Amino acid sequence: MASGRNWNWFHRMGSPRWFYETTGRWLPWLWVLTLGLMLTGLVWGLAFAPQDAKQGNSFRIIYLHVPASFLALAGYYLMAIAGAIGLIWKMKLSYMVMKSAAPIGAALTFIALFTGAVWGKPTWGTYWVWDARITSMLILLFLYLGVLALQYAFHSQETGNKASAILALVGTVNIPIIYKSVDWWYTLHQPATIKFTSAPSMHPDMFQPLLVMIVAMYSFYALALILHTRVEILRRERKASWVRELALQAEPGGVAQ
Amino acid sequence: MNTQFDSLQQFWEMAGHGPYVWTAVLVSLAVLGWLLIRPVQQQRANLQSIVRQSQREQVQQAAAAGLSEEDK
Repeated sequence: MASGRNWNWFHRMGSPRWFYETTGRWLPWLWVLTLGLMLTGLVWGLAFAPQDAKQGNSFRIIYLHVPASFLALAGYYLMAIAGAIGLIWKMKLSYMVMKSAAPIGAALTFIALFTGAVWGKPTWGTYWVWDARITSMLILLFLYLGVLALQYAFHSQETGNKASAILALVGTVNIPIIYKSVDWWYTLHQPATIKFTSAPSMHPDMFQPLLVMIVAMYSFYALALILHTRVEILRRERKASWVRELALQAEPGGVAQ
Repeated sequence: MNTQFDSLQQFWEMAGHGPYVWTAVLVSLAVLGWLLIRPVQQQRANLQSIVRQSQREQVQQAAAAGLSEEDK
């Protein structure tokens, strides 16, 4: 059956055990990659990049603000797609990924808002304005928290998964609004520094460490998502025999103090 | 390539912007670190609790087997 074979990879990917074992092999590399890139990018950006002609040293906050904002938005799409796959194909693993993406996305959105506020004070003279970009990012934070809260709001895990997935999908409306908010409305927030359609409006000496930090944040996101999903897999599959064998291998003593 | 600062003192002060930059850096790193450390701790606790439960069940099974021996 050709069609049967073609879908094998899809079913295998939906298996929590397959995910657990495969990502277990990736983890050591991801740790090294994430910590290495993060350290390189931060030292480069904070100590070596030239200061901004207008903003001085406060612009160095960009090395955390922009990568965190990128992943807060990309992570939302990932969460919504995972929810959609769960709804359509009833894939358990997909719901576990969706649930794991919620706290990570909320934390990254918080970092984007917090570093933005701290950057705003010396640059705009205020920590907070209710403009389109900032308000739509705050809504993103609430959407992430809503998806997370719905996971715990029902007795049945199944109902919680569906409710979370639907909220995640409805919330995707907000993402293009965030992207376009600096163009559609008058705002204090500066327009995007990096665009896919044109060269960056930044000197290469400033831009290169930012690129390193963006790659570092993608690597961080992959690492965090895998770690959270693995916790979820063990929690929901603790009765499975492969989980027992794995636990006995990892913790032969078993006595926690 | 050279650093933009002549001393650690200057690096810390950043010509007056130090408090803003370092607050942003430290809070961000604390949140990012928490996102990695928490699942590692939870996973360890999960594994230990799974092992303890399977040990309890083994003891119970052994006890049940012992009782049925006595019945004979």
